[in-house]
Amino acid sequence: MTGNDDIGAKLAAAACALLGTAVCAPASAEESTNAWSIDSSFLYYGESDGRVQDVSAIVAAQRDFGDQRKLSATLTADTLTGASASGAIALDGPQTFTSPSGRATYTTPAGEVPLDDTFHDTRFALNATWSQPLAELYTLSAGAGFSTEYDYRHLGANVSLARDFNKRNTTLSAGLAWSQDDIDPVGGAPMPLSQMLDVGDQSHKLGSDSKTVLDVLVGFTQVLDRATVLRVNYSYSDSSGYLNDPYKVLSVVDPLTGDTITRVPAEEGPTGVYLYESRPDKRAKQSVYAEMKRAFGARVLRVAYRFMTDDWGIDSNTAEASLRWPLGASSYIEPQLRYYTQSHADFYRASLIDGEPLPQYASADFRLGDFDATTVGFKYGHRMANGSEWNARFEYYQQTGSIPSQQIIGNQANREQYPDLSAVIVQFGYRFGF
Amino acid sequence: MKRSLLLILLGTLCGCTTVQPWQRDVLARPEMSLDAAPLDAAIDDHIYFSKEASSGGRGFGGGGCGCN
Repeated sequence: MTGNDDIGAKLAAAACALLGTAVCAPASAEESTNAWSIDSSFLYYGESDGRVQDVSAIVAAQRDFGDQRKLSATLTADTLTGASASGAIALDGPQTFTSPSGRATYTTPAGEVPLDDTFHDTRFALNATWSQPLAELYTLSAGAGFSTEYDYRHLGANVSLARDFNKRNTTLSAGLAWSQDDIDPVGGAPMPLSQMLDVGDQSHKLGSDSKTVLDVLVGFTQVLDRATVLRVNYSYSDSSGYLNDPYKVLSVVDPLTGDTITRVPAEEGPTGVYLYESRPDKRAKQSVYAEMKRAFGARVLRVAYRFMTDDWGIDSNTAEASLRWPLGASSYIEPQLRYYTQSHADFYRASLIDGEPLPQYASADFRLGDFDATTVGFKYGHRMANGSEWNARFEYYQQTGSIPSQQIIGNQANREQYPDLSAVIVQFGYRFGF
Repeated sequence: MKRSLLLILLGTLCGCTTVQPWQRDVLARPEMSLDAAPLDAAIDDHIYFSKEASSGGRGFGGGGCGCN
């Protein structure tokens, strides 16, 4: 670092300390003088075995109006294709299902976990946030968001207030977010625990539905010393309304063999008995999140931990770590590691047993099951002479799950019922100011 | 009174020394911001929201997509 840069950084630091919050740091000394800063990313997410593929482009623009007044807007476009697990169990023979539209069927080969490959969607999302000082030591942020995809529309708004203390070494913040989502599933939303019917028979499908989500977040940020900053958040999230996945089913199985009860379609339709899932229409989640950043000379270590618990019986623990390591004066490499583990929802069932009374709630969605997930990867960034930066991130994600042993019946033990999920994440980013 | 109690509580919680404005050279580095890579965070939230039963924590809980 040259002498001039050093003075510039110190001036920026002092200005930041006088005007900003405990976490205030301009994107860079150069960018802080720009009215506009643009951050963009191109993402590829691809799961193995022809499952979900996602290509996304995101552009975030921020306009600085001076005096800490900022407007930022983010535009996202997503394209999803591929296949997603339907919830039905694997069998020794092929299985045929009616597709969500109710107009066609798809068949899963013998021994394979059924995947619904009719899955494709395009999503556009727009979010905007305004932030400004409200009074001395107070910062107000307010935002609104909108997203649309073929079967889903989201409308959200949020507001938060932060207050600095202790020479801006401490910040307390509180925020509220509200969202109203409309779900219009392909073919209609199936009645919970209704049976998958033949092609053309939509008597078990209702129209669209909706859900409301209210989030409350309380945050505490503390500068611990000249090179360390800590953040702790508590959040509470309350969802109510239609919380099912309208495309997920459960197999109804024989109590002894564990094989799916077969049925004969009239013309074209499912070859087994499958019921659409049923989740509660309310969910309350609570989480505690702690994150710390510490500089060791030019290197920066970030560690984070989150505990989440909800009233569906799911507990999860997430740990993250990354180390940003400079390579020369203008580049860096940042290895990243994440570990996640969750317990299953109370109503998670691998299958339903024929002849037993139906439970009120049941889902075989793997995402509500027991699993661990690991993400390993790294990010590389390079800063150009003009102050802009390009970066690339490569990650590998792996989920390994299991079904509670008491839920495995008869022949199910001989077949893979909870296949591992792996995905690659490739991201290219470019940010600049003007 | 309430205010000084709060400050004492915060001071006790962290047990840390006050960093003066002119000592913020390290903390002011862009990579030391807790929101240094907002798009990475948004992308991660979106991916993990659609693959896991948990979301949010760092900020408001992701979502806004049918990938529940």
